[in-house]
Amino acid sequence: MDPFKGQGGIQMLLIAEQEAQHIVSNARNLRTQRLKQAKDEVEREAAQYRSHMEDEYQKLISENTGSSGSNVKRLEEETDAKIKNLKKSTSKISSEVVDMLLKYVTNIKT
Amino acid sequence: MNDADVSKQIQQMVRFIRQEAEEKANEISVSAEEEFNIEKLQLVEAEKKKIRQEYERKERQVEIRKKIEYSMQLNASRIKVLQAQDDVISSMKEAASKELLNVSHHHDDHVYRNLLKDLIVQCLLRLKEPSVLLRCRKDDLHLVENVLDSAAQEYAEKANVDPPEIIVDNQVYLPPGLTHQNSHDLYCSGGVVLASRDGKIVCENTLDARLDVVFRKKLPEIRKQLFGQIVA
Repeated sequence: MDPFKGQGGIQMLLIAEQEAQHIVSNARNLRTQRLKQAKDEVEREAAQYRSHMEDEYQKLISENTGSSGSNVKRLEEETDAKIKNLKKSTSKISSEVVDMLLKYVTNIKT
Repeated sequence: MNDADVSKQIQQMVRFIRQEAEEKANEISVSAEEEFNIEKLQLVEAEKKKIRQEYERKERQVEIRKKIEYSMQLNASRIKVLQAQDDVISSMKEAASKELLNVSHHHDDHVYRNLLKDLIVQCLLRLKEPSVLLRCRKDDLHLVENVLDSAAQEYAEKANVDPPEIIVDNQVYLPPGLTHQNSHDLYCSGGVVLASRDGKIVCENTLDARLDVVFRKKLPEIRKQLFGQIVA
């Protein structure tokens, strides 16, 4: 057996082992990267989802502001209408009530 | 074994080593992808849930704030209506109070004089005292002195007793009627105040006091006329 050729053969095997280790290491590194990528993608999707929810929320707020505004306005209108009706009925019966009160004040039972 | 065979065997071993490595790498890659998908799905779902809960909480707070605001507005509205109701009733009483001045000012003396007599008789009937003190406005003094005897006589007949002694206070008078000058002072629109001699029993029969009593008594009726059946 040629000693050179024997040494060459062992060398080739060692090199193959090293390359094999690299292949496996690369795969492991890719896996780690991939998992990190998963986290990155999760954050991106979460940010998108949050943005969507924020839009919905802001829409809700502006709707509520409008709704609340219209509610308050309606309430004010109802209140003013009640008070207006009140003053109308007051003016109708005011002199009548005053007369009634005076009648009792000046009608003395002895 | 010749060199060719040795070389052949080494090549075979090298291929085997590489094949093993590539199979392992492939296995790692496949499981990495699975882990990737599972991990991503789980994390995305967890994040979304967290975000969703956050916004549900914020929306609930908006709803609550909205309800609180409306409730406050509604309450303010009710108070406003109640205040308006009180205001109109007060204005009626005020109008009646002003009219009292006409009773003692613009009527002819006969009507007011008769009123004073009746007021005195009413007090005498309630006090049932043989001797009483009487206070009136200074402006009414002459009218009161005019009717004292007939009031005492009327009381005596009604109560079937001797005519009482009525002492008119010439030192202290009831305050005068409301004018622009004394709008913040005590005032009396007319009428009399009688008291037992020891001062312990008082019969306040001023027009203003009578208006207070009548007003309080008739308030439910007035409110009913104004506000219908709704009890405000």
